[in-house]
Amino acid sequence: MSRPDQSEGDRSRDQLLAGEYVLGVLSEADRRRVEERMLRDRPFAAMVANWSDNLSGFNGDYGDEVPPPQVFGKIEVKLFPVRSFGRELSAAGAWWNSLLLWRGLTFASLAALITYVSLQSGWIGAAPPSKTLVAHMNGDGATSVGLMARYDTANGRLKVLPVAASADAARSLQLWLVPDGGQPPVSLGILPQTGEGSVDIPADLRPRLRNGVTFAVSVEPFGGSPTGQPTGPVIASGKAQDI
Amino acid sequence: MATDRDIAVLIGRVALRDRAAFAQLYSHVAPKLFSVCLRILKDRGEAEDALQDVFVKIWQRADRFAATGTSPVGWLVAVARYHSIDVLRARRPSADPLDEDWQIEDPSADPERDAVLTGEGKRIDRCMEELDSDRAAAVRSAYVEGLTYQELAERHSVPINTMRTWLRRSLLKLRECLDR
Repeated sequence: MSRPDQSEGDRSRDQLLAGEYVLGVLSEADRRRVEERMLRDRPFAAMVANWSDNLSGFNGDYGDEVPPPQVFGKIEVKLFPVRSFGRELSAAGAWWNSLLLWRGLTFASLAALITYVSLQSGWIGAAPPSKTLVAHMNGDGATSVGLMARYDTANGRLKVLPVAASADAARSLQLWLVPDGGQPPVSLGILPQTGEGSVDIPADLRPRLRNGVTFAVSVEPFGGSPTGQPTGPVIASGKAQDI
Repeated sequence: MATDRDIAVLIGRVALRDRAAFAQLYSHVAPKLFSVCLRILKDRGEAEDALQDVFVKIWQRADRFAATGTSPVGWLVAVARYHSIDVLRARRPSADPLDEDWQIEDPSADPERDAVLTGEGKRIDRCMEELDSDRAAAVRSAYVEGLTYQELAERHSVPINTMRTWLRRSLLKLRECLDR
């Protein structure tokens, strides 16, 4: 065995090991040993980087092969599991099932939207002086709505910036907080149709905006849901998470 | 056609969690990286799975790119190559290299040079010309196709220990030439 973790091993041996690693001829176990060593042995890591740079001249041997179109969608599902929002919410109550139906009937042209919500680290904790929660809700297609939301814990204000709203003017976009644990969604207010706006979060709801909750935006009759629960299709949703 | 700089900018934006940039990066480089996966794994289904994992790694590791100092496409190809080779090795475990072959005379002896990156790797072609053609071919196919010593030995009809010696001597000669 080549003992790749021997840090004072002779140089030519290290050069060989680094070269073999980049060539790819090492066994799986040796590859892991080399990678572990690279983390703590900078001169050795530099040897590997040097070989990698030198041998990259062979990269011209690789051509172009267009992957099947569904591959990117699968990557997004792996990386952004909020896409499975529908499944998560189906446990939360029957209202979601009717939304799925609504979605199919009314806003079929809207691509499924994904919310990417990030909490600035340290947001959760004992009375942070002023922290910001940022939510970026992206759409996949040209017809979708992109939203940027920023929540300031100091004043309890949620600012919303529609990036590319294409919503029907006779309808309103309503923002919901979906608690974890199966409780019904709580309205956080109506989003502005265009331009930057903000939603003041009622003081009693502020403690509930934390890691693990889900935000959702639904399309409602102008002025908001008549029932206090989402009635139109959910066009954006996502879980708040620490990153 | 995206330039190296465009790709580097996109990787930087991916590091900042910009999903639109991620989609753009995918459209620019997925064909190249899929070709890498296919060439090494030689199976479309496996290559598609590998490509997914490669882009997951690119998303997760984009912040490390800036520190590498390598070309952006080179970095992306390296992610795809190493992942594909790992999949291949997990599928077909290769024997660990033997100890006795390590004593090979080293034609180069300048420790200062190792830390210096040499640029784009263009000189590799000139240095490959200094190797015997069958050894150069073995080095190249090891890299491009991710072949093991055993597979290289079979392809060139030589014993595995002979192939090991070929490749290691070739690597040392290349090192010496590249550092010259």
